[in-house]
Amino acid sequence: MESRILRPTLAIYSGIFLLFLYGPMIVLAILSFQSADGGPQFPIREWSTYWYQHLLGLAETSRVSQLPVGDSLIRSIILAFMTTVVSTILGVMSAEAFRTKFKGSGPAFYLIILGMMVPGVLVGLGMALLSNTLGISRAWFGTSFVLHVVYTYPFAFLVLLAIFNRFDRTVEEASMSLGVSPAQTFRRVTFPIIFPGVLSAMLFSFTLSYDEFSRTLFTAGRELTLPLAIYGTFSVEIYPNLFAFGVLTTLFSFTLLVIYGLLMKRFTSKASRFKGQEEG
Amino acid sequence: MTTLSTDTPSDTSLSPAQLREKKDRRRAITLLTPGLLWMALFMVLPMIMVVYVSFWTQTTFTVESTLTTASWERFLSSSTYLGAIWTTLRIWAIVLIATIVVGYPVALFIGLFVRNKTLQTALLVACVIPFWTSFLIRVIAWRPMLGTEGAINAILMQLGIINEPLTFLLFSEFSVLVGMTQIYVVFMVGPITFMLGRIDPSVIEAARDLGASFGTIFRRIILPLSLPGVMVGAIFVSVMVLGEFATAASLSGRKVNLLGNIIVSQVGSLKWAFAAVAGVVLTIIITAVIALALRLVDLRKEM
Repeated sequence: MESRILRPTLAIYSGIFLLFLYGPMIVLAILSFQSADGGPQFPIREWSTYWYQHLLGLAETSRVSQLPVGDSLIRSIILAFMTTVVSTILGVMSAEAFRTKFKGSGPAFYLIILGMMVPGVLVGLGMALLSNTLGISRAWFGTSFVLHVVYTYPFAFLVLLAIFNRFDRTVEEASMSLGVSPAQTFRRVTFPIIFPGVLSAMLFSFTLSYDEFSRTLFTAGRELTLPLAIYGTFSVEIYPNLFAFGVLTTLFSFTLLVIYGLLMKRFTSKASRFKGQEEG
Repeated sequence: MTTLSTDTPSDTSLSPAQLREKKDRRRAITLLTPGLLWMALFMVLPMIMVVYVSFWTQTTFTVESTLTTASWERFLSSSTYLGAIWTTLRIWAIVLIATIVVGYPVALFIGLFVRNKTLQTALLVACVIPFWTSFLIRVIAWRPMLGTEGAINAILMQLGIINEPLTFLLFSEFSVLVGMTQIYVVFMVGPITFMLGRIDPSVIEAARDLGASFGTIFRRIILPLSLPGVMVGAIFVSVMVLGEFATAASLSGRKVNLLGNIIVSQVGSLKWAFAAVAGVVLTIIITAVIALALRLVDLRKEM
């Protein structure tokens, strides 16, 4: 039996693969605890949290300038929030539209999907050219924001389309035929069913926008978002404060993921309670 | 649907089915309009602008809307820029093949050999978790890994395999290829695993009962059924790698210039028309690649 050799070989290979995926981040996390006089490489002179203090502005003045994260972090969070709201609303509306077959649905589908395909550097360039020509000043809450939605809306749309495809239209029709108004039906029947999809679409939109870089590069104007601030430090020499930042921002993302997980769990347990009532 | 008759009194000649179809269509269009309008204004229009500006006249610091092909002529006669096209295509091809070669066995393991659903999900989640780290941080994480004083060199020296640190690891085409493969390989693993997970185990069992070796089963059943996954993964990886510039900018030490890097540097020096030409060339390449891939697989059917 070949699978007796094949299975362990593939298992070991997959382990090495995971090491390949995680290795750089592990090294980066270790090096973020470098001492103040150490560089961004091995060996670790002395374990310390100096670079975390440095990042948060708690360390005394040093040769390394502080990462400009404060204002840019707030901007990035606001931008991601705006993007999440708009792309989720657009996603729900479009996915709802695609539940019925209609002429021209093919081109409309591909036009939406194109948003996640077009390289950021191209739409970014186009938007910069457009705003230059029209005399609109570029800003993270304007030109960058609309491009972020162009990028995240297709993801929200696809997630919701998958949910809508799976759910039975007759449930809504039953509600309507019992005389419930369309608005009420959406609130009491449709929305609870699609809620997990909405939550996933929001998570996608938020994390994609929060980390979006190439679409923002040409369109953010003078005030930088977080990824742009990080990119600015690439051209000069890097220090372990960047590594400390990487660890913290990863923890922030995991917090989001945990919140998502808790909301999802709470919702599904509520939904199963409903099911129990129906059966009982 | 009591509202139908009052809604459209003039359409009494149509059958209820036609009426309903008409109403559905109108509803779909109303719901879709905001989204499609957004895409038209903020995606299609900027792209048209890129094509338009590529024919503008470039002066030292601005562009004027007098049409000319000067920027195109300069681009197509410069060996630097033609070289960028070649570099982009070469890096794309190598990374694409690397993601397939590196990712396929992992997908094979997760999708076909792990039959425990919980473990399967756990492994897929483990592949996705790195995406919760910022993209730029994941790129920069390769520096302490590959540098002359980096982790790889340190380990190899400790083991006595090398005496001098390897210098080709960082700030070279090699580091760009490794970085891109690590960042994008998951987009290949995901779709392939999905397609492999859909294969009915009884088909493979039947083939085995009939005496087929694993090689035959792989060639005749597994590979053909997983090809749509490979194609979807290839589309993901292609569009992302072709539009890349950050990995090359931070890991190649300016030795690798992709079309994306050309655009960034031209915008930096306010050569808008020139950046637009590079943008159009990049668009043509990406369109060709996607068109080719879509010929081979119907994306909407696979969703």
